[in-house]
Amino acid sequence: MKLPRLSTRTLVLLSLLVLLAAALLLSGCGTSDLPQNTFAAEGEVARKQRDILIYWVLGPAAIIFIVVEGLIVYAMIRYRRKSDDEVPTQVHGNTRMELAWTIAPAILLLVLAVPVVEGIADLGRSPRADALHIRVTGLQWRWQFEYMDPEYANADGEPLRVFDEVHIPTKREIGLEILSADVLHSFWVPRLAGKQDAIAGSTRHMWLNADRPGSYSGQCAEFCGLQHADMRLTMVAQEENEFEEWIQGELADDAGSGPGDSADGPANGPEDGPANGPGAPAEGSNGE
Amino acid sequence: MSHADALHTSTGLDNRKLLMWLFLASECLFFGSLIGAYLLYRGDHEVPCVAGELSACVFPTDRTINGVEYQGLFDIPFTSVSAFVLLMSSVTMVLALAAIQRGNQRGLLVWLFATAFLGIVFLSGQAFEFTEFNEHGLSLSTNLFGTTFFVLTGFHGAHVTVGVLILLSLWVMAARGRLTQEKSLNVELAGLYWHFVDIVWIAIFTLIYLIQP
Amino acid sequence: MAGVVTRPRPTSILEALRGVRQQAESYQGIWSWIATVDHKRIGMMYGVTAFCFFLLGGVEALLIRLQLTTANGQVLDPDQYNRIFTMHGTTMIFLVVMPLSAAFFNLLVPLMIGARDVAFPRLNAFSYWVFLGGGLLMNASFFTGGNIFQGELGAPDGGWFGYAPLTLNRFSAGEGIDYWAMGLQILGIASMASGFNFVVTILNMRAPGMTLLRMPLFIWMTLATSLLIIFAMPIIAVALFELLFDRLFEANYFNTLVGGRPLLWQHMFWLFGHPEVYILILPAMGIVSEVLPTFSRKPLFGYPFVVFSGIAIAFMSWGVWAHHMYTTGLGTVANSAFGVSTILIAVPTGVKIFNWLGTIWGGSIRLVTPFMFSMGFITMFIIGGLTGVMHSIVPSDYQQQDTYFVVAHFHQVLMGGAIFALFSGIYYWFPKFSGKFLNEKLGQLHFWLMFIGFNLTFQPMMVLGLLGMPRRIYTYEEGLGWEVLNMIATAGAFFIATSVLVFIINVVVSVRSKERAGADPWDGRTLEWSVPSPPPPYDFEEIPEVHTRDEFWHRKYVEDETGRMVPIVAGGALQEEEHEEEHQHIHMPSPSYFPIIAAMGLPLIAAGLIYWEWINMLPLIAVGAAMVVVGIYGWALEPEAE
Repeated sequence: MKLPRLSTRTLVLLSLLVLLAAALLLSGCGTSDLPQNTFAAEGEVARKQRDILIYWVLGPAAIIFIVVEGLIVYAMIRYRRKSDDEVPTQVHGNTRMELAWTIAPAILLLVLAVPVVEGIADLGRSPRADALHIRVTGLQWRWQFEYMDPEYANADGEPLRVFDEVHIPTKREIGLEILSADVLHSFWVPRLAGKQDAIAGSTRHMWLNADRPGSYSGQCAEFCGLQHADMRLTMVAQEENEFEEWIQGELADDAGSGPGDSADGPANGPEDGPANGPGAPAEGSNGE
Repeated sequence: MSHADALHTSTGLDNRKLLMWLFLASECLFFGSLIGAYLLYRGDHEVPCVAGELSACVFPTDRTINGVEYQGLFDIPFTSVSAFVLLMSSVTMVLALAAIQRGNQRGLLVWLFATAFLGIVFLSGQAFEFTEFNEHGLSLSTNLFGTTFFVLTGFHGAHVTVGVLILLSLWVMAARGRLTQEKSLNVELAGLYWHFVDIVWIAIFTLIYLIQP
Repeated sequence: MAGVVTRPRPTSILEALRGVRQQAESYQGIWSWIATVDHKRIGMMYGVTAFCFFLLGGVEALLIRLQLTTANGQVLDPDQYNRIFTMHGTTMIFLVVMPLSAAFFNLLVPLMIGARDVAFPRLNAFSYWVFLGGGLLMNASFFTGGNIFQGELGAPDGGWFGYAPLTLNRFSAGEGIDYWAMGLQILGIASMASGFNFVVTILNMRAPGMTLLRMPLFIWMTLATSLLIIFAMPIIAVALFELLFDRLFEANYFNTLVGGRPLLWQHMFWLFGHPEVYILILPAMGIVSEVLPTFSRKPLFGYPFVVFSGIAIAFMSWGVWAHHMYTTGLGTVANSAFGVSTILIAVPTGVKIFNWLGTIWGGSIRLVTPFMFSMGFITMFIIGGLTGVMHSIVPSDYQQQDTYFVVAHFHQVLMGGAIFALFSGIYYWFPKFSGKFLNEKLGQLHFWLMFIGFNLTFQPMMVLGLLGMPRRIYTYEEGLGWEVLNMIATAGAFFIATSVLVFIINVVVSVRSKERAGADPWDGRTLEWSVPSPPPPYDFEEIPEVHTRDEFWHRKYVEDETGRMVPIVAGGALQEEEHEEEHQHIHMPSPSYFPIIAAMGLPLIAAGLIYWEWINMLPLIAVGAAMVVVGIYGWALEPEAE
């Protein structure tokens, strides 16, 4: 059989094209202000999550890829068979090299473990004492938010409840309790923080904050059935005084429409209503 | 699967015997997973109840089923006897294998039958226990205990049933003179399976019946 | 089976069995395939069947891509979309990559270790028929949703991961999930059967002198994969039983209303699921480790290190399952532990890649299609591995989890990795089993189309994930910045589809061509190249004696005084096709119908259980059970070979 001709130039050109395309694609993340761009972080949590990736992983990973792939392409070109009867030296291995490329990556990777563990601990801490507490409940296919701090209780002592659009003050930490009334969901506002799954039957916690006022969109990230794609939410960050104004307005509306009213309840929630489901699970039952 | 295989395998171990050991190793993971699920839920003494009355949710360590007080769900002496019966069947299994390896056809017939019989006695005990629990209102869907208990012990019972069928098949073969000394491997393999099922029961008996929370 | 029915009434069971068996031997054409216990035929059936499922899964992928090409796509409705993406994932993993690997195990293991067949030929046939039955049962679910021609699909809609409680009756009515769980259960039996078979075959049936450390690397990877299958499958079997008990008999394993915990499913699923990832990729690594030395004319670099890194990966795969569950809130300790273990599994993976590089370095490389596909594998697998490390960065993974970044990552590994390597294997061993070459020009076209298409499809998905596009959404709005990248991805998917079409044309053209490949067309190194192409039913006329690793190579080349390898000129050790008659003394296992009878009983039982509440399905269950029992007894009692 004839040896196929694959010129050196073609191979080099192709690999350059690939690299260029990769660079172009990735640069898209860095600059753009798209609504759910995880790289356009606007909160402490999202920023930390992005920075560990960029500073500790993306760069080294790109270098490793270019070096290893470069060596592979080089070898493919350099060592092409020239004649049918050439037999190269039968090298079986080299223990020193083996040890080197076992131990060196192991050390590099263990270094990587440091920011990982540090990051986990930091993101996993409980919210600060002065945090605003919101209970988030995932329902098929809506998000319910309840302001748990006593000062935002309505006339009946029930927490103020809103759906799909939640307002938060900027520069204040938000402590979230995350629950599910039916199946699994995952609460996610990419520009503010990574996700936390909502697990039916138990409560999960996370915290986040927003640097600047703005409207941050998010959506359910755990497949939850028919309308999973439509289970979207918006987190509106406002200056403290504007937020206060907004929430007092909501409370006034709430009083006007009477207790237990489900006018703004979920259109397609479970029959027993959202209040039953998430209300009961005990706090911190995360024995799994 | 021919017997000549044993003569020239790379490890010297018969193919079928190696297969049986691998199968039993795999079975360990199977029962391990079932037991794991049972143990996970056993810790939940008072699982928060979202719907229905509390009793439906509670692992019956407080001896209630459907809200009715029930003194002692388990009849420990009864189950101990049936566990003992199953243990004894392992002894008779060993005797059956010893018999065929010595070419003692009569002994083989007797001990194979004894093993199968003891297995059937154990299964009858299990059937009685299941009926008894059911009459007290405990079913697969009553609560987490019902679910994990019936599925775990049920799968064990299914394994014993398969074992009894194998033993009876061997017994028929032996009775027709087709299970000769050189085919003792068949009995050995059945024995390996039988002892395994027996050991699994010791684990289940200890975890479910003896160490109650 | 027709043979069974039409026979005159036999006098005893054993005679009847013997009769069936003799008939089986005399059958020609299709019956000789149905009753076959020949590992090569079973391997081909595995391969062809899996390829058909590959086309099906590919069509499902194209539908998904079409739906997502633009914002607010209208190709599928959400219900159809959910069912199709579920079936795409399930099909590609359980009906394509696993059985394609099994096809290679079947074709190659006896030939590579110098055996005439596997340890349990009928168990092997059983495994194939069970796989076929399970695959058909699973796909039959499409027809249960009403009129399929009006787009009313009935397939499962819970995702291939089937997270409880979405899979319970309360949230997923209809029978789709039942078919899914039953189908997976049956496919699990098929995998276990072949897993047991290959462990025993590899441990017990090696030719004299074939010590463990002389085994070809593909054999090592088969052994590791088979052991993973043996230990991982029971876990998913229990999880599926629990789900089925919940669905069919109102048990409570995952019923959150009475305290059932959804995370129990996830732990069990991923405790199986992560070893499963390596079940999918280790055979591919084995194939590449065979292809590279042949086309570089050099032994595998650092053989013992490649072997032990494979074993290390197999072991470590048991300690990383929770990296699929970082966002479920396992707690800081668990997340840290699984983060570190996931970081570390990159070490043995890297060792493999460096050794492959060492293998081609200084070699004499032929850039033919099988080699190109192997290089494609390595390239894509490096990206897959590096993005895998990104997932072990737990805090960042909180962002990436369940986005298209993950979709891109595992397609890098499973398609850019496993599928590329499997195609490499197809091009490499096709001459061995068909006696014909696959056309090289079409092969190169296939490779480049697929390689470019693959990168067009999946690299944009990485960016999409970082731009916040979640998985499993049937639609998205404008303005999120996802449109262009999705359009590129869809275009790429059609490149891949075209490349597969080129492959099919290639097979048709090549099978018809007159050019014959000899016994050793690539200057191979392992024993399968020492027998004629295609190999005779008994594989080896004489069981070979093995003296070294790369045995066949050392029969062809010797060192001269200066230490250089030179070919042995005269005759060589090649085949001896002239003494056909002398093969009479080789006893091969007889064909048998019982494996297929026993295997086909299983889907009947499953179907009966799925509908047991609906109408009285006892007769169906009884028939299925009877087939299993008859099959097993017949199997146990029939003499294996005359």
